[in-house]
Amino acid sequence: MSTNNIVEELKKNIAHFQKEVEQEETGKVTEVGDGIARISGLSKCQAGEMLEFPGDVFGLALNLEEETVGCVLLGEYEHIKEGDTVKRTNRILSVPVGEELIGRVVNSLGVAIDGGKEIKSSKFYPIERIAPGVMTRERVNQPVQTGIKAIDAMIPIGRGQRELIIGDRQTGKTAVAIDAIINQKGKDMICVYVAIGQKESKVARIVAKLKETGAMDYTIVVVAGASSPAALSYIAPYSGVAMAEYFMDQGKDVLCVYDDLSKQAWAYREISLLLRRPPGREAYPGDVFYLHSRLLERACRRNKESGGGSITALPIIETQASDVTAYIPTNVISITDGQIFLETDLFYRGIRPALNVGISVSRVGGDAQIKPMKKVAGKLKLAMAQFREMEAFAQFASDLDPETKKQIERGQRITELLKQPQYQPVAVEDQVVGIFAVNNGFFDGVAVKDISVAEKKLTDFMNKSKRSLLDKIAAGQWDEKIEAELKEACGEFKN
Amino acid sequence: MRKKSNFQFAKALYEVTKDLPKSNLPEVIGQFVLILQKNNKLKKVNYIIEEFENYAKKQEGIKMVEIETARKLDPTVISKLKKTFGEKSEITELVNKELLGGARIKVDDMVYDASLKTQLARLKQALI
Repeated sequence: MSTNNIVEELKKNIAHFQKEVEQEETGKVTEVGDGIARISGLSKCQAGEMLEFPGDVFGLALNLEEETVGCVLLGEYEHIKEGDTVKRTNRILSVPVGEELIGRVVNSLGVAIDGGKEIKSSKFYPIERIAPGVMTRERVNQPVQTGIKAIDAMIPIGRGQRELIIGDRQTGKTAVAIDAIINQKGKDMICVYVAIGQKESKVARIVAKLKETGAMDYTIVVVAGASSPAALSYIAPYSGVAMAEYFMDQGKDVLCVYDDLSKQAWAYREISLLLRRPPGREAYPGDVFYLHSRLLERACRRNKESGGGSITALPIIETQASDVTAYIPTNVISITDGQIFLETDLFYRGIRPALNVGISVSRVGGDAQIKPMKKVAGKLKLAMAQFREMEAFAQFASDLDPETKKQIERGQRITELLKQPQYQPVAVEDQVVGIFAVNNGFFDGVAVKDISVAEKKLTDFMNKSKRSLLDKIAAGQWDEKIEAELKEACGEFKN
Repeated sequence: MRKKSNFQFAKALYEVTKDLPKSNLPEVIGQFVLILQKNNKLKKVNYIIEEFENYAKKQEGIKMVEIETARKLDPTVISKLKKTFGEKSEITELVNKELLGGARIKVDDMVYDASLKTQLARLKQALI
């Protein structure tokens, strides 16, 4: 472009520029501290509106009182002092959304914190949005393959479901969620991992692992670290789900992990107490149930007429000393469509993932399994329950009848089969083959400790010589012929 | 019980003194100071006076107008402004070189910004 052109363009732009009187409503800071500011004036301020403070700091109006507005500050607040002018922005807090965010690590406001280039998105979504209504929803009937044998076989998760992962610290809650994200590779899923109040080192490790496994190609990581203000921890999950909603509006399926919501509840409790809202049970404010229900209700599967797409939510809750009757765990258990319980005992006994099969449930269940898995794993949960009962009983009795002995041995083999190392998700067809083999006694001759080796050999064998059969299973086909073929293949392997 | 705010004291003082004959004023003020002392509010008396002034002005329809300009204003402009905002309004003038030109007028909580500085900032945003 020549210089003349540029000058012309500039002149045109300036000519079009209209002189306008800007109208602004302002207020004054009367009190500031602990990430909270009180402002007098701003009589027309809306709830949840962004307020602009000097130095490009924004606040979120939460308390609208007779004469003052209570707001949380999203960012540094050391320079803000009494008497500073606060402007209304007439905008509800929104975050940038779009394809640009995929593969990035951002904070709760959608600002890149991975050292990469600035995220320039033209689209913004409000962080608070009403969840889709009854008429736009469809039943959950498509599976999310987590790649974890115990979960896919016994506690299946469907697209649009909300499945809680709950357990004490150090029981592998995050590991389950990360494995699920890693396993979405090539499955046309977008993943959003929201880290709330986590150690930055842990987040860095997770991001490195996701990069290593190629999972960052379809994942957005939203981080409100342990060092960030409570306000950012409070809004992080809402930002995450807003980013997910954009992809759902494109008709895509999204998996959203909130790690973890107990820390978000703590952040919200902190904010509420500082804003002098009355404390209730465990000092949480009265609307702490709504805090989580409005978030998790935004997970859904929409029907074709409404544009399709789904958001599957995997919230994580950390319990203290296995107390699931505390306030937040009971709330979230009642909101979600099932829960995955992880236990310390099992973890130290070497059963990893440390899943308690007895009390873990999925209320959507079998609808969200492919047919072969449903057929093969249908009775697995019951068998496992019976096995545990008999195992406890058998500890006292030395002489057992052959039938009981057989059942115990089968149970031990199933337990062994369901063990799985971290970051190694298993394809669904391989899971079906493994479970089929152990159910039909093909592993009875193998010592319990060698099960995983035998399973690996079986998988290799099947992938090498029976690929077409596996493809059929992966496509969800199952009839007597396929079953017979599978039996034959397993027999062939055994010899 | 929750602590009473400065504003509540200011409001109460206004309500009491609104229709009071001048002769009763010293007594009422004396009582008010006693109440302040009881509530440990004597230290905050400056804030209460400020709130009182604001509240009284609001109730009587007096507008606080603050005009910020780059250069000193002509008295005719001020009288014109007075007409627009009502004769009762209290006008304060400020000279702020940073504005470059135009004016920024603040009426109670609303700010009408027609300064050159803001316009240039907007132009910059529109061009980039």
